[in-house]
Amino acid sequence: MEGSLQAGILTAARRGKPAKPVCLACRIDALMMCYRDHQGPGFDAEFKNFTGPDPQGMSYFQFIDTLQSIADGVLFGATYSLLGIGFTLVFGVMHKINLSYAAASIGAAYASLIVLSVVKAPAIFIFLLAGLSGGIIGGVIYIVCFRFIPQANPLATLMSTVGALLLIDEIIVHATVGIPVPYPALFSDVIVNAGPFTLRGDLMFMFALGCLSMLLLLGLLYRTKLGIATRAVSQQPAAAQLCGISIPRVNGLTFVITGVVGGIAGAMIGAAIGVLSPLLSLPLTTKGLIVTVIGGLGSIPGAIIAGLLVGGFENLFQYFRGVTERDLYVMLLLFAFLVFRPGGIFSPAAGRD
Amino acid sequence: MDFYLGLAQIVGVHTLLGLSAYCVLLTGQVSLAQAGFFAIGAYVAAMLTVLAGWHILPAIVAASFVAGVVACAVGFPALRVKGLMLVVATLAFGEAVRLFFFNFDYQVARGEVKIGPAGGEGFRQIRFFPEHGWSTLDVLLFIWLFVALVMAALWWMDRSRAGAVLRAVGEDEVAAQSAGINVTAVKVAAMTVGGLIAGLGGGIFAHYTAHIEHAQFGVALATFAIAYPILGGLSSVFGTLIAVIFVQGFLIEGLRFLGDWRNLLFGGLILLAMNVRPRGLIDAATIAAIKRMRVRNREPGNARTEGAE
Repeated sequence: MEGSLQAGILTAARRGKPAKPVCLACRIDALMMCYRDHQGPGFDAEFKNFTGPDPQGMSYFQFIDTLQSIADGVLFGATYSLLGIGFTLVFGVMHKINLSYAAASIGAAYASLIVLSVVKAPAIFIFLLAGLSGGIIGGVIYIVCFRFIPQANPLATLMSTVGALLLIDEIIVHATVGIPVPYPALFSDVIVNAGPFTLRGDLMFMFALGCLSMLLLLGLLYRTKLGIATRAVSQQPAAAQLCGISIPRVNGLTFVITGVVGGIAGAMIGAAIGVLSPLLSLPLTTKGLIVTVIGGLGSIPGAIIAGLLVGGFENLFQYFRGVTERDLYVMLLLFAFLVFRPGGIFSPAAGRD
Repeated sequence: MDFYLGLAQIVGVHTLLGLSAYCVLLTGQVSLAQAGFFAIGAYVAAMLTVLAGWHILPAIVAASFVAGVVACAVGFPALRVKGLMLVVATLAFGEAVRLFFFNFDYQVARGEVKIGPAGGEGFRQIRFFPEHGWSTLDVLLFIWLFVALVMAALWWMDRSRAGAVLRAVGEDEVAAQSAGINVTAVKVAAMTVGGLIAGLGGGIFAHYTAHIEHAQFGVALATFAIAYPILGGLSSVFGTLIAVIFVQGFLIEGLRFLGDWRNLLFGGLILLAMNVRPRGLIDAATIAAIKRMRVRNREPGNARTEGAE
């Protein structure tokens, strides 16, 4: 009963000020963030004494809270979808993993902050700037990590992207002296009350932006010449080359495109959490890869759905089991997929690697 | 002097970790679960010496065994998938192990204090070496005894049929299968051996650091584990050792005088190394060159030219 009281206070607190549920940084990784960055007394108490909702039966409010946490998670999941798309596109075109992708996305968000501080522009441009810098970083990563390393050697490119990940992280640490930087959130004061539910304006804006970028990306892939070339290379590299498509060029452009998507995702993550920290990059890499696999390698619709699924799922378990156990259940979801549906939600057509 | 002894200890433990990934990489599988097995070994060994009062030797053997069994159990389902899927599956397994220990609270009252792993605060009371009066040098010799044993075993394995089988599976799975090799059995065996070695390394690691917590066994450690054999090259066990010395001795300790810039250089140097030597510092061509040199020295004017590449 004591536990339910605490949970009640917790959820009440959460409902009262929906702009910051729990410790927002912990949305990404409680384990790293809370020990190093967020050692507030209030947070610590909540963190240690978390008991979850009352196990004896679901009351009406708990039911509402459950739905609310799923909704919040799905809204945040749009960022996971974007990251998953980035991993999946690179995998589809090159059959390689770009482990530095999440770090590059965070790096792009940082870069947009720097540009915004130099050029006075409305805050909404930050997403555009993040996308642009993400594209540039993506191109650079292609050149240093993939262009000059033999294609037939998957281990070498895996390692070089790890090197790039460490390098980007360290550049950020170096430039910010390791202190998390506040990131502007748009519409964070807008709270929509829909019946018993509250929807955060910043999360909804993020979700809408995520959907918009996904639509633009799909349009690019299915309606332009570059998109046709990209899909051709991912389906039949040899035949594509015979048709006169330059594979290095398509690969490089794919990196630029995924970089743009990643930059927007990085800005969205920064806006949703309120801070940027290099500590975000490893947990986000893990989440992005999980989303990629759950969605099915190389499948963009799969990555979108899997991102929303993982977002909702993890927030649901954060509500029930606390922030420390949350990711364990995400891993279990992944294992369940690997055992029962190894191809992911949308498995690629048979005959491909 | 103590500084160098400490460095040699770190190199020893990380060599074990790298060798555990080396075994799995030989079969062409990229496993990011090695940090998970390492964590299991560390926690099991520490709990055996601290809570059950065992001697360190049986404790680390038991820890190694437990990690090996877990690796074998993980191997079966995980090896159904390939490539990126396997990377993600093993990464998720490693993270799941870390999160398990993050939530793992098993404290026993011993007198007035409570000892044992305490969730996020870690496991603090591992004092086997100081309690039994082992000096730094003793610990160092203890560590390197195991490193030498494991390296000798792997070196011997490499020259035996087992090594050829592992490499055959790694080079071309379909060809190996059509040559009558049970690919699944080979992969699971490699995974198990990798788990055994990682568990051993973890058990030793727990005792010389004296304090373990979940954050030490994260994705970063897992990437280091595969980084050593990839950087060093998969042609020889000594590649892993050289890569560990290069990373721990040169990149991490040797460049300390650079201050903050060292970390920047770290990622950059890995990038450079992979661009310049994509098959590792010691690749097949290097080994062939060394062999040729030895042959030439033995029989002047009668150099063998076969074996290159």
